Amino acid sequence: MTDLSRRGFIGTSGLVLAGATAVSGRTAFAAVPEAPTMASAATQAPLVPTSGPDYQPVATLNGWTLPWRMNGDWKEFHLVAEPVEREIAPGMIAYLWGYNGQSPGPTIEAVEGDKVRIYVTNKLPENTTIHWHGQRLPNGMDGVGGLNQPHIPSGKTFVYEFQLRRSGTYMYHPHSDEMVQMAMGMMGMFIVHPKDPAFRRVDRDFVFLLNAFDIEPGSYVPKVNTMLDFNLWCWNSRAFPGIDPFVVGRNDKVRIRFGNLTMTNHPVHMHGYEFKVSCTDGGWVDPASAWDEVSIDCAVGQMRAFDFVADEPGDWAIHCHKSHHTMNAMGHSVKTYIGVTKKDLVSRIRKAAPGYMAMGTNGMGEMGSMEMELPKNTLPMMTGYAQFGPVEMGGMFSVVKVREGLAKNDYADPGHYKHPEGTVAYEYKGAKLTEAPRVEPAKAKPEQATWQVKDPRKPRLGADGKPLPGAKAGGAHSNH
Amino acid sequence: MRPALSPAYRSHVVDIRRFALLAAVSVILGGCASFSADGGVGTAQAVAYAELNKDVVKIGDDATALGARARVDQLLKKPLTADSAVQIALLNNRGLQAAFNELGIAEAQMVIASLPPNPRLSISSRTGTLSLEIERQIVGSIFALATLPARADVARDRFRSAQLRAAEAVLKLAADTRRQYFRAVAANAQATFYQEAKASSDAATQLFKRLGESGGINKLNQAREFAFDAELGAQLAQARLQRGQERERLIRQLGLWGDDLKFSLPGSLPPLPRLPGIKAVEAEALRKRIDVQIARRDLDLLAKTLGLTQATRFVNDVDLLGRRIYDRKLTVLADGDIEREATRTRLVELEIEIPIYDFGQSKVALAEQTYMQAANKLAEKAVNVRSEAREAYTTYRASHDIARHYIANVLPLRKIIQDEALLQYNGMLIDVTQLIADARGRILSNVAGINARRDVWIAHTDFKHALIGGGSGGGGGSAVVAAAGGGDAPAH
Ligand SMILES: [Cu+2]
Repeated sequence: MTDLSRRGFIGTSGLVLAGATAVSGRTAFAAVPEAPTMASAATQAPLVPTSGPDYQPVATLNGWTLPWRMNGDWKEFHLVAEPVEREIAPGMIAYLWGYNGQSPGPTIEAVEGDKVRIYVTNKLPENTTIHWHGQRLPNGMDGVGGLNQPHIPSGKTFVYEFQLRRSGTYMYHPHSDEMVQMAMGMMGMFIVHPKDPAFRRVDRDFVFLLNAFDIEPGSYVPKVNTMLDFNLWCWNSRAFPGIDPFVVGRNDKVRIRFGNLTMTNHPVHMHGYEFKVSCTDGGWVDPASAWDEVSIDCAVGQMRAFDFVADEPGDWAIHCHKSHHTMNAMGHSVKTYIGVTKKDLVSRIRKAAPGYMAMGTNGMGEMGSMEMELPKNTLPMMTGYAQFGPVEMGGMFSVVKVREGLAKNDYADPGHYKHPEGTVAYEYKGAKLTEAPRVEPAKAKPEQATWQVKDPRKPRLGADGKPLPGAKAGGAHSNH
Repeated sequence: MRPALSPAYRSHVVDIRRFALLAAVSVILGGCASFSADGGVGTAQAVAYAELNKDVVKIGDDATALGARARVDQLLKKPLTADSAVQIALLNNRGLQAAFNELGIAEAQMVIASLPPNPRLSISSRTGTLSLEIERQIVGSIFALATLPARADVARDRFRSAQLRAAEAVLKLAADTRRQYFRAVAANAQATFYQEAKASSDAATQLFKRLGESGGINKLNQAREFAFDAELGAQLAQARLQRGQERERLIRQLGLWGDDLKFSLPGSLPPLPRLPGIKAVEAEALRKRIDVQIARRDLDLLAKTLGLTQATRFVNDVDLLGRRIYDRKLTVLADGDIEREATRTRLVELEIEIPIYDFGQSKVALAEQTYMQAANKLAEKAVNVRSEAREAYTTYRASHDIARHYIANVLPLRKIIQDEALLQYNGMLIDVTQLIADARGRILSNVAGINARRDVWIAHTDFKHALIGGGSGGGGGSAVVAAAGGGDAPAH
């Protein structure tokens, strides 16, 4: 927790202090717990519990866990909703809304049966609330502004109190102007660990949220009115190559949990393994009915977790299988120039548009290796290099790095996988292969095809638009 | 100076000798007009030199013609500047030479007016029934002689006015040429820019053609792009047409034909002139405007004429008739004899018109109204000149602001758009078509910028001539504006 800067609640602002006084007036405890904040977008080491019941902490991808304090038998947290600056990937900053210095907010970790008291201070310019997605709790704690509680006005602090009734994977997000606030990045993970630390225990437990932003290249604030045409597909508000790898030791038991707060579903696919879907936001999947997958689709608003034993060493890709979601900002109305020679036009076009380079004639793969100047605050459409060259990916893409002999708490990037001799695909350099004679694809001739347009009002027409021979058309005659 | 009276006349008309003497003296005193060495072009030359820093010659002989020709040839060798164009026009425009000829005519008329009237000799024979009367009549308009100094003065003033009008013609030619020069250069630059836009559009069209062949674009979008290119082609043709027209108009100002037409114009307009911080534009215009000077002089002239009319109010014309009448008379008497009778009479007759019905009031009223008309016209001119000076100055300032706005804001923004579009294209965020559209938009803004700069130069010319005259009929000339969409993206 190197980047964790602690900040006393008192001394932040008089406005918030007033809120705290109001809170203490009602619940009568010594003081509001401090609200720690995080400046770094790097993955922080799991927060091992030092008080309360023991559990195996999770590792939040490019995130951190919110520290708490025990107050009697209450586990107290303090979330501050506020504008934040988030590095989406090196070279791009987004102005978002989040919690405690980051978007998404810190992961809340607690144990089944814990009584949690969560202070929520609103430092946004508008009302907010927090909904505890998937939790069982008193109706008045569910966080739907207007329905379950008054909205939390700017500058005020509200308190949520409930007991965690079941273990599993949950989320939190606003339910007050939620369209805007979620589009601005307000969300976080809420992990409830089992009472028994040995229950379905894994060695490494990764969590992240799928989220998407529409930030025009060169701008900083997401367009909150975008419905589907997002250009930054993120895990925890990071895009590849800004997403950290999943570092695991060989033969570790691994769990990967994720929730989807975008506007579309994401089939998350991991290479190298089949895995078992072990948990949803509805709860744990009975091992007897768990099923094997290599991709798991996560619908909007859902949470999924899968488990596997990392027995295959290597650098294994993990990504959303919607291929546009493994791209960064790109123009969706760029024409396809495959097969269009542009070279001889370059000098002519350059006269009007100096600096123009011809692209796309052979596909877009060249984008992965081209290093051209881009608008100021954006990311190349596809980027990231590995030991064999450009990865030609962006967005929802990362790598599960399975290595021999990692220390239990070692999450540091081990670098590229060293492939054992003779285990990498290689170029054939032997004798020239004789290719089997290829059959010319039969070119369909219009007269051979049986095209027809059915219109009850007209005679049946052939491909040439003329009535077919034999068609009973009043007055029509055939040329055949 | 010619002898006023011939000795022969003197011998016969002794009695009018005193009058003649008086007339001759008065002519001497009045200064008998003669032809000037420069044909009266001096004023025009002085004005051209002082206000325009240009030379003006009246081509009257081969030597001047050759000299002027040599200078024109020299000036035509290099791409024309506004100044060299004006100089060529002043040397070569035949209309101006015609104006100088008119000046020569005015001078000749002045000289004629300053001469005393020639004596008229009239011999009339009259036959009566029985008599033959030979009358030698020498008529001299003593009155004309007496009023000669005044009339000579008026004629001199008229000539002076003509000189000013010639100077005005010089200024007008200079103003027209200068304006036309800027129009021609701007039309040139405009056509060049449209040509560039068309070239990039052609490249894009080629691209869309190939896209159609590769299956990357449908016929609808292809046709949209082609239509844009086709429209740009029409605009280019229009720009070329305008270039030709403006050049021809300039050629007419310069008075060129034949091989001279090969002259070249620069590719771009000069940088913006510095805006003068002039305060007393109105006073300066009233002081310097040549048409005001002419009007004022005309008024003075009229005043003199009016004075003449008043002086001769009761005497319309005085003709002194000197007659020597020789009568021969044959009378047939009753007895058949014929009586010859011959008499010689000498008499001096003075005819005076007595204004019984018109004592001159109507003439005075006419003169007064004419004078007041001219005075009011001068007053009106003074009001207009003030207004024209103000208008020219504000137009100049405003057009200057507009052009600077193009230079300081529009064009830099267009450049940012194009640069950023290229960056976006690099990131495959936009299509090359957008890149070309933005480039085209920049070109068209440049065309608008050229027109704005041209308007500044025209306003500059108008302003200058609003202060010195000869600048009527100016005005801007926003001909082909950026109508090709100003950077509108082609529809996709
Ligand atoms: Cu996806």
